[in-house]
Amino acid sequence: MPVVKVGGRDVHYQELGSGIETAVLVHGMLGNLAVYYFHIAPMLAEHFHVVVYDLKSHGLSEKAEAGYDLESMSADLLGLMDVLGLRRVHLAGYSFGALIALKTAARFATRVDRLAIIEGPDPSDEEPLRVMMEYSKEAFDEWVGASGLSMGRRQLDRHHRMYEYIFQKTTMQADVQKQRDFFLGKEVASIPHRTLLLYGEDSDCATAGRLLERRMMDARLRLVKGDHNLPVQAPDVVADELMDFFK
Amino acid sequence: MDTVVTNQEIFVVLKQFIGEVIGQEFADELDIRPESSFTKDLEMDSIEIVAFSEKVKKRFGAEINFTGWLSGMDIDQLIALTINDIIIFIQECQSLK
Repeated sequence: MPVVKVGGRDVHYQELGSGIETAVLVHGMLGNLAVYYFHIAPMLAEHFHVVVYDLKSHGLSEKAEAGYDLESMSADLLGLMDVLGLRRVHLAGYSFGALIALKTAARFATRVDRLAIIEGPDPSDEEPLRVMMEYSKEAFDEWVGASGLSMGRRQLDRHHRMYEYIFQKTTMQADVQKQRDFFLGKEVASIPHRTLLLYGEDSDCATAGRLLERRMMDARLRLVKGDHNLPVQAPDVVADELMDFFK
Repeated sequence: MDTVVTNQEIFVVLKQFIGEVIGQEFADELDIRPESSFTKDLEMDSIEIVAFSEKVKKRFGAEINFTGWLSGMDIDQLIALTINDIIIFIQECQSLK
């Protein structure tokens, strides 16, 4: 598995395609690069050099107890780009990864070409924080039961151990609280990049897309059929939208 | 690479990869058969299937477009994917050589 050291930690990444321009795709909290690996990345790789990677403590990247604020996460991304020799990229992020993409575009504007925000949530939303604070094995089992997901013992254990680690043994909760006013600050308003805001019509996050469209200088909201789980529900649509926007 | 000819030989290679990805100790507890599905029977999650796919690409990559084949599947097909589906795909690619 391709792994590089970034800031002293192992980062798992995958590269696809051999296009001249590079597209970097950032996954969301509790996810991993697989959200792109099977559909979206191969479709984009027909035209672009595509890089996907696992955030710290996610997928096959090394665990870290601290550094989940957007400043640190964007620094991680820039560090990976430096190690891979990527001067300037099209950047897309999903959910929490969208916030990382926004922060990266704001802080390192010259390193980003076009910016795509997929289902980026409003960081002032209290609900994700409540879920983290109240997390327990019982709450997890209840959620799995209610969601109708079919998971075996090993899968349940693996997921629970990961959620427990990230929610209760890292600085994630405190770091998420720090960024509550991110959408209302000067940074987001000053992002100069042409930006695609891709949201599901039925997503609870669609209001965040509308807010970003008002706050950002050059952003266009595109609503498509689906909810927050858009990259899994409609990978072809997401890939087509990214392809049209990046080309 | 050496050309793998029979379904059984491909199965042995894929089974070895599964053990490397999920851990041999856990793999030994499973009854891994050609008809085993990655998600339901082997309880592999998405990042483990990525790791498995990379091993398949490294081993058979010159002969097959494994990622391209997977990208043509919808989520339900991916969830239902079995070892045998991959064996058949590899065999078909090899027969086209």
